[in-house]
Amino acid sequence: MDSDPIWDDAHDTTGTEPIWKKSRRVREGQVEINAVLATGTATDPDVTSDETTTITVDGQSITLEPSSTVLDGVAEADTNESVPALCSYQKDDRIGPRSACRTCMVESDEYGLIPSCSFPAREGMDIQTDTPTASETRDVNLDLVLGGHNLLCTTCGKNGRCELQEVSIENEVEHPRYGVVHDNEELEPIDESSPFIQIDRNKCILCNRCVEACNDVQVAGVLRMEGQAGDMRIGFQNGAETMMGSTCISCGHCVTVCPTGALVEQNLVEAATLPVPGFTHSNSVGKTMGEEYTSRPRRMTPMYTEEHTEAEPKIDEQTDSIWQYSDNE
Amino acid sequence: MAEDGSIGEGPIIRVSTSGKNRIRGREVLHAAREPTASIPIVEVGPTGIRELEPLILATYQGETAFYPQCSLMRVRDLVVALDDGSLPTKGAMAVTEHDPDTATLPTPDEGTFALGHRRVLDRSGWVVPANTHDYVASEDFLAATAADRADEWLSTLQDVSLRGRGRGDGACDTPVVDAWSTVQTVRDERESEPVVVVNANEADPNAEMDRLLLESNPLAVLDAALAVARIIGATNLLVYLNENEDLARDRVNEAAAELTNKVGADIPIEAIAGPNEYKAGEMTMAIEALEGNHRLEARLRPPFPTEEGLYGRPTLIHTPRTLAQIRSLFANGGDTIGTGSDPGTRLVTVVGDIETPLTLELPTDETLSVVKQAVDLDGRPKAACVGGVFGGVTRSLDVPIHMNALTAANLGTNGVVELFGQNRCMLSVVGNRASFAEKENCGRCFPCRGGTQQLASMLRDIYDGAFDAEKIRELLGTMRRSSICQFGQDAQRPVATAMNEFESEFRAHAEGYCPNDVCIQT
Repeated sequence: MDSDPIWDDAHDTTGTEPIWKKSRRVREGQVEINAVLATGTATDPDVTSDETTTITVDGQSITLEPSSTVLDGVAEADTNESVPALCSYQKDDRIGPRSACRTCMVESDEYGLIPSCSFPAREGMDIQTDTPTASETRDVNLDLVLGGHNLLCTTCGKNGRCELQEVSIENEVEHPRYGVVHDNEELEPIDESSPFIQIDRNKCILCNRCVEACNDVQVAGVLRMEGQAGDMRIGFQNGAETMMGSTCISCGHCVTVCPTGALVEQNLVEAATLPVPGFTHSNSVGKTMGEEYTSRPRRMTPMYTEEHTEAEPKIDEQTDSIWQYSDNE
Repeated sequence: MAEDGSIGEGPIIRVSTSGKNRIRGREVLHAAREPTASIPIVEVGPTGIRELEPLILATYQGETAFYPQCSLMRVRDLVVALDDGSLPTKGAMAVTEHDPDTATLPTPDEGTFALGHRRVLDRSGWVVPANTHDYVASEDFLAATAADRADEWLSTLQDVSLRGRGRGDGACDTPVVDAWSTVQTVRDERESEPVVVVNANEADPNAEMDRLLLESNPLAVLDAALAVARIIGATNLLVYLNENEDLARDRVNEAAAELTNKVGADIPIEAIAGPNEYKAGEMTMAIEALEGNHRLEARLRPPFPTEEGLYGRPTLIHTPRTLAQIRSLFANGGDTIGTGSDPGTRLVTVVGDIETPLTLELPTDETLSVVKQAVDLDGRPKAACVGGVFGGVTRSLDVPIHMNALTAANLGTNGVVELFGQNRCMLSVVGNRASFAEKENCGRCFPCRGGTQQLASMLRDIYDGAFDAEKIRELLGTMRRSSICQFGQDAQRPVATAMNEFESEFRAHAEGYCPNDVCIQT
């Protein structure tokens, strides 16, 4: 590409490189290393307000600090209808809003139907949660989320502490319009390779929280979004097929932010399941991958172990572990 | 090559082809240069009427003869005859008389060329693309004086209220002047440097409008873009192209170099190609591609790119179609045609059950029914899909092509009219669009990713006897209202409109037969 005359001739008035050579933007306050992480997700603009605003939600006047979205107001108000805002994560402002599930849609007087989780609070907005359109749109979108989810709650380690389950119960979903994924042929194998974290993509709602926790909070650069349309999935930035083949440092942050049973701590996989003999989470899906790693408990991911030098502790041949503690200790 | 361009009083042979017929065009060009002759022979861009290509325009003393689909033998004969001082007219589809040094295509009064009003296409197929001599033959560069005339331009645009054209435009169907003032306001408030992006990546193979402009008259597009960039104080001008469109890309590169030489290098012009995917033309995915993201997905909005776009800078995104309208408006001293609410013209590519697509330019107060005169269709068309892949299906073409009328009729504004013959099955037509949407979306939001999956599956279920119109409509409404970007918002339109117009056809399939024997053979 360097031989292209236009690019060669093109010169920036500031004397820097042409625009296409610049690395991806780093937002103010973000860690600079982000620029080299390939998360596969869009660089969203700042969707929060610039100044203090007062908005009305279902008739209640609410004053919001700068850097607020409409959802902040909705959360503070006693709303007429429940607004699930399933994929939003308000505990850490470095995560989200992703605005993928669109179960946060509310009606505004000026802008019509808006996604409250990712719409800046603007002075004087009048928000209603209970118009028929807003209500129907949230319901349909929640069912669309369920339509792509493997709803085997009884064998799921997140049973009882799952945000999707909670929201579905709260919204009285009994029969999701579009059904759920239950055909074993359609299910993706469970990734059992890591001794710490299990991935069941059949339960993933692609909220992107784990990708952001991994990249924007931990700056570990392991997880990414890949594929498009129906093939979209959580993958690994080094292109590995399994968690064990990735550069995961097993910090576990992804697990703590996951709203469903897609990412679960290995020891808790069966913690909340109903005790039906012979019926487990793994065999309910049918296939697992990463079994070749299961005989090497507590082994670190290869990308990190391979980087050790001679001065560092050797891998124990029995356990493949650089730290020689065992389950007995 | 004619370094001095093609505009002048002498005899000349023009070979006009689009990128699609370039190989054949090159053969004709080569054949034309075989006889030893002193007359110039130049390659020009497409006229928009592809079935005529390669089209030879032989000009002698203020007369031009049009030879469509010219053979190699005939072009050699033409060259020899013209060199000998005569203009053969036998076998020509038309002969027109004009000023010997006209800078615009002297169109015949009859036939396809006479339809519509060639206002932004006035030079397409006549001038040598990217040749500055041809470009300034009757007017000067807009960009040369734009910065000094900024206030005049802005007040003209306030009065005229020109709207953006095409799905990839940052001001699609809204007044361009609003987008310009937002960029200017953000520039002043944040002291940031605006960017102008020419979004020419339209991967819909049926939508030829932007490609046609870049192949035939790239200087007009880039001149307008540079003028706009100077007015809003931009410091970069990027042309975002489709990786597969080599001819458009070559011509943009040539034109950018010429423009930089002639008008100044204060704003660098860079041409960057993006993937040949429908979704990549969406304005924020265009920005993602320009920033070098390996995976494209839509960005949230608001704020829109005019406030926070490429690398966070205020970014004005216009399609070549919009820029051509801007050029035409100011080249004509602020005069315009069409309706007041949506002035100017629209480029419309006519495709479907016809032999070869063609692109017409229609003033916005004309109705779509003009396209029927332009094509050879067996009988009356059964229906048309207006507005591209995700346009609206209609039985009537009696709709003016301005934004308000098209939107009111639930049709798209993306400038493609696809005609369907009487034996087309509308369920299979829109079913194919739904599965296209199911495969091609970026995957980010549920109303689009999940919605298109469920939509395609509910349409397939009709063949098994399950047709629930209410359930489908409920989903279509959610897709339209809550998808992040235009892809999901528009993807529902073909099904929504076809169900209104042809619900009985949908029901027939549920009962086990296809009224047209297309998808269920009885």
